[in-house]
Amino acid sequence: MKKQLLGALADLIVLVIGVLSLLSPFIFPGLRSAETFSNTFPLMVSLIIILCLLILFYETQETLLDSKIIAFLGVLIAINAALRFLETAIPGPAGFSPTFFLIILTGYFFGSRIGFLMGAMTMFVSGLITGGVGPWLPGQMITAGWVGQSAAILKVFNKKAQWQGKAPEIITLAAFGAVWGLVYGMIMNLWFWPFLAGAPGQIWLHSAYIGINFQRYLAYYLATSLVWDITRAIGNILITSVMAKPVIKILKRFTTRFSFDYREQHQS
Amino acid sequence: MKNTYSWVLWLASSLLIILSTRNPFYLLILLINLFITGQQLAKRENHPLWALHNFRFLLTMLILSALINTLFTHTGRSVIFSLPENWLLIGGNITYESLVFGLINGFVIGGIYIAFNIINLALSIKQLTHLIPKAFRPIGMTATIALTFFPSIQQRAREIKEAQMIRGNPMKRISDWVPLFIPLLVTSLENAILLSASMTSRGFYRQQSESTMSDLPLISLILSAFMVFSGWILRMYDYPKLISILLYIAAATIIFLTLFLTGRRSQATQYHQEIWQKKDILASVLFIAAVLIWNLVKYYNLIPSLSYSPYPELPFPDIQPAYIFFLFVPLLPVLLQSDD
Amino acid sequence: MIKFENLSFSYPQTTEVVLNSVNFCIKPGTLTLVTGASGSGKSTLLRCINGLVPHFSGGTISGKISVFGSNPIEEGPEILATKVGFVFQEPEAQFVFDIVEDEIAFALENLGIPREEMHNRVNQVIERTHLADIRRKKINNISGGEKQKVAIASALVSMPQVLVLDEPTSQLDPSSAEEILDQVVSLKNQLGLTVILSEHRLERLLPYADSMIYLAPDKEVLAGTPQEILPIMQQVPPVVKIAYKFQISPLPLTVEDFPSKEIGRKYHLEQATPIKAPEQPQALIKIKNMNTKIGEKRILNNLSLELHQNEILTLLGENGSGKTTLLRSILGLLDSVGERLLFGENMHKRSLMEIIQHIAYLPQNPNDLLFADTVLDELKVTLGNHNLNRDDAELTQFLEQFNLGDKKNRYPRDLSVGERQRTALASITVHDPQIILLDEPTRGLDYHAKQALKEVFVRWRNVGKAILLVTHDVEFAALLADRVAILDDGSILFDGDPRIAFSQFQTFMTKTAQIFPQTNWITPGDVKFRPKRDV
Repeated sequence: MKKQLLGALADLIVLVIGVLSLLSPFIFPGLRSAETFSNTFPLMVSLIIILCLLILFYETQETLLDSKIIAFLGVLIAINAALRFLETAIPGPAGFSPTFFLIILTGYFFGSRIGFLMGAMTMFVSGLITGGVGPWLPGQMITAGWVGQSAAILKVFNKKAQWQGKAPEIITLAAFGAVWGLVYGMIMNLWFWPFLAGAPGQIWLHSAYIGINFQRYLAYYLATSLVWDITRAIGNILITSVMAKPVIKILKRFTTRFSFDYREQHQS
Repeated sequence: MKNTYSWVLWLASSLLIILSTRNPFYLLILLINLFITGQQLAKRENHPLWALHNFRFLLTMLILSALINTLFTHTGRSVIFSLPENWLLIGGNITYESLVFGLINGFVIGGIYIAFNIINLALSIKQLTHLIPKAFRPIGMTATIALTFFPSIQQRAREIKEAQMIRGNPMKRISDWVPLFIPLLVTSLENAILLSASMTSRGFYRQQSESTMSDLPLISLILSAFMVFSGWILRMYDYPKLISILLYIAAATIIFLTLFLTGRRSQATQYHQEIWQKKDILASVLFIAAVLIWNLVKYYNLIPSLSYSPYPELPFPDIQPAYIFFLFVPLLPVLLQSDD
Repeated sequence: MIKFENLSFSYPQTTEVVLNSVNFCIKPGTLTLVTGASGSGKSTLLRCINGLVPHFSGGTISGKISVFGSNPIEEGPEILATKVGFVFQEPEAQFVFDIVEDEIAFALENLGIPREEMHNRVNQVIERTHLADIRRKKINNISGGEKQKVAIASALVSMPQVLVLDEPTSQLDPSSAEEILDQVVSLKNQLGLTVILSEHRLERLLPYADSMIYLAPDKEVLAGTPQEILPIMQQVPPVVKIAYKFQISPLPLTVEDFPSKEIGRKYHLEQATPIKAPEQPQALIKIKNMNTKIGEKRILNNLSLELHQNEILTLLGENGSGKTTLLRSILGLLDSVGERLLFGENMHKRSLMEIIQHIAYLPQNPNDLLFADTVLDELKVTLGNHNLNRDDAELTQFLEQFNLGDKKNRYPRDLSVGERQRTALASITVHDPQIILLDEPTRGLDYHAKQALKEVFVRWRNVGKAILLVTHDVEFAALLADRVAILDDGSILFDGDPRIAFSQFQTFMTKTAQIFPQTNWITPGDVKFRPKRDV
C-alpha cells in the first residue's frame, strides 16, 4: 500500500514538475529576468525533465523490469524505430508511422509504467539512431512516455464502459491516437517557443500578457506545424482502425506468455 | 580526442558559454568555431554534407525567429515599416530592434543545435549508451537490445514485405500493412522470449516484486528534482543567486550519491573500457578549468559585454578582448587534433 | 553428475503433461544426445537442466533434478548460470549486443567479474572457439554458423561444467552445421565438459556420443548407449537404416564404420536404373544467359536453366553460389540481364502481379507469410489478392492435400513447425499456379514433417506442376528429385541425372552414396542386393 502510494506520488510529481517546466513560458509571465529565462530555458527544462524521467525509470525498473519485460520492450522499441525509418514500408504521406500506435497499445495492455517506458525509450533510441540527441530529446521522451502512460487510463475507462473487445474500443483508441498526435506536436513546439518569441519588455514583463502570449503561440503553432500534426493524427486514426484488432489479439496472447509463475507439486 | 567523457565536458562547457551571452559578435565567433570543429569531425566520419545541413538549419532558425519576433514584437525606435494596428497579433511597427533580437535568438538556438550535432558526430551510438549510469542498467539494456535488433528487424521487414508482395499483396493501401506488420510483430516477440531465456541463462535474471524496491533512491530523486526546479524558478524571479546555486549544488550531490550507491548495489561489471589518452585528460582538465573560471568571472560580473539588448534603440555591442579566448573553448578538440 | 528423478512437468494453463516421470543419469565429462520428434519435449527437458523450466516458463513441476550438486528447481537459472552454459536453436534471436566480443562478455558482466579478469577470460574463450578474426565484427554481419560459434563462446565464458545445446544446427547449412558439431566435440575434450545436445543430424555426433536420451512418441523417456537406443527409435540415420537391411551387428554409426568391403564380398549389389527426365517439348520457364549483379558484385554469370512441367528440379549449391539470387531474379525481384521466358513469352515486360499468377514462391522463412487468424483465412487472403473466390468446402478439400484438413480453423502460429510450413505452402499455391519455387523448405523440420512435405511435392509433380527446389538437404532431395542442377559461382556446373549428382560430386554425396561409391545408389530405398552364391 505504502509502495503504491509512493508510486502514485512519483507519477504526480513528475507530471506536475514536467508540465510546469514545459508550460513555463505561459505560466510564469510575471517574472523579471526574462533574458536569463529565455536563454537558460531549454537546458534547465531538459535537466529537470531528465530528473523526472529518472524518477519514473527508477520506479519502473525496481518494480516491474524482469528479463522478459526487458527483452520484450527492447524488441518492441526496435520495431518502432525500424518502421519509423523504413522509407519504403509505409504507403502514405510522410509522418505516417505506427510509432504512437504501438506506444499506446503497449500502455493499454501492460499498464502505465511499461507504457511510459515504451514511449520514452522509443524516442531515446530513435534519437540515438538518427543522431538526434539534443536538448529536445528529454522533452520528446517524457511526452511520448505520457502517451503510453495515459493509455492505461483509457483502458480503465474502457473496462468500466465494458467496451473491451467491441467496436468502441477501437474507436476510443483511434481518437486517443489522434488527440495525442496533435498534442504531442503542440508540446514539442513549446521547446523552441521561448527562443523564438522571447522578447523582454514585451511578453514576459506584463502578467496581463499571458493570454496574448498564448495567442501568439497558437499562431506560431498553426503556421509551423499544424499541417504536419494533422497528418500524424490522421495517420494514427487510420493505422489504429486497421491494425488495432489484430495487434490487440497478438498482445493478448503474449501477455500470458510473458507473465507466468511456476508451481511445485510435491508428491505425496 | 575520442574519450566519451571529454566530449561530454566539451558539450557542457560549450553550451555554458553559448547560453551565457547574447552579444551577437560573441555568438558569431562561437558559431564559426563550432562549424570548424564540426567540419573537421564530419571529414573524419565521412559526412560531406554536414556543414551544409547545419548551415541550412541555422538559416531556417534565423529566418523563423526573426520573422516571429518582428511580427509579434513592436517595440524599438528604428521603424522599418508599419502594419495596421487593427491586424490581430501582428499589427504595429516592424522595427530593426526586434529583427536583431530575433536574429540573436536564432544564433543561440542554432549554436545549441550544432553543438549537439557535433556530439552526435563525435560519439558513437555505443559510447552514448555507455553514458547511461550503472544504476539504470536494466533500462539501459532495453536501449541496447533495441539497438541490436534494429537492423535485423529492418531487414526482416523488407523480407516480409517482399514475401507478401509475391503472394499478391500490392502494398499500396494502409490495410495492406497488416500482412507486413503482424508477422513482424509476432516473430519479433517470439524472438524476445528466446532472447530473455538466453539472457537469463547467462545470469541476467531479475525477479521483481514491489517489496524488493528500496524507497530511499526514489525519494531522493524526487527531492532533487524538486530542488532543481525551485532553484530555477527562484532565479527567474530574481531571488539572490546564492539560493539557487546552493539548491543546485545540493541537488547535484544527492543525485550523484543516489546514482553511485544504487549503482554499487548491482553487482554487474562492465566489459567496455573507456580509453583515456593524454590528450583526453588534458582536454578534460582544460574544459573543467574553463567552466570554473567562466562561472567565477560571470559571478563577479566581470564581462558585462556578454549581455546585449537591442532595445530601445539598436546599440553597438561592446567587445572585451580580454575574454574572447573563452569563445575558443569549443575549438579545443581541433587545436588538440593538429599534432597527429 | 546430472540426475533426473521422477521429473514431471506441464506448461501453464494446459493439462498436457510434457515430461512424464523422467528418470536418467548423466556422468560427468560425457556427451549425451537427446532425440525425439518435434514437440516431444526435447527443449523442455534441456531447459530443466539450468532451471529455465520452471522459473522462466512457468508451469507445474514435480520430481527432483540435481546438476553437479545444485538443485535447479530450487536455485533457479541465476545460480545455475555459472554451472550450465546454454545455446539456443535460433542464431538470430539470442544476442543482446551488436559486437561479438561484447556479447561474449555479457555473462561475465552479470556475474560481476572484475574487468581485468573479464578481458582474460574473453580472450581465452575467443581463442578456443577460433573467433579472433571476427571478435570486433557486428553480429549482424556474420554468418549463421559464426553466430552459433559466438553463442557457444558466450555460454562457455562463465566456465560452466555443463554445456547444453538445443538443436544448435537446425537453422544452418550442412557444412556450417558439421563445423559447429566438430567444435562442440573438441571443446568437450579440451575442457572436460559434460555436453547435452538435442539434434536432428545424428550421424555427425553418434560416434562421439556416450549416451542417448530418446523421447518416444508415447511420452516414455529412454536413456542408454547409442547401441541400445538406436534399435528402439522409429527414425534412424541412413547409415543405420542400411545396416538394418544387411542385418549388421553391432550397428555401425558412421559411414567410416560401415563394413562396405565385407558387404561387397558377400553380396551382389544391383545398380539402380538411372533417373531420366522425359523429353519435353516446351519449357515452362526458360532462362538463357542470365546475369545478375547485387551492388557491384556479380552473382549470376551467364546462367541458363530450363524448368519443365511434371518435374521436380533440385538446385544444389554451396553458400554464396547464388541460389536465392537466382530465384529472386526469375521472379523479377532483382534486375537481371538475359533471356527470361515464361511459357515461351518474355517475362521482362510483365509485372510482378502477372508473373506471380503462374509462379508461386516459398521464402526461406514461412513465418514471413502467416498473419491471419485461421489457416482458412490465410488461404482467403491469397485468393483475395488474386481477385479469386472459393467456398470453404473447396478450400477444406484443398487443405486435405497438405494434411491440414482438421487444422483449418486453428491459429497458424500455434501449429507445429512442419504444419506452419505446409500452411505457408498452401497459402502460396491456393490460386493454382503452374510453377512453384521453394527456398530451403526443409530447414528445421524433423523426419515426419519432411515426409509430409515430400508427399505434397510429389503430388504436385504428378498433376503436372513444375517445382524448383533449392536446398542443402541432399538426403531429402535425393528422395524426390527428377533432375538436379548444381550451381557454382553463379553458373550451372551440372544439369542432369540425380544419381550422378548425388554420387559423383563430393559436396553433395548422400550417405548411401558415400557407403557404396561403386553403385549409383543415392537413398536407402535404392539398396538392392542378392547374396553371392560362391561365398
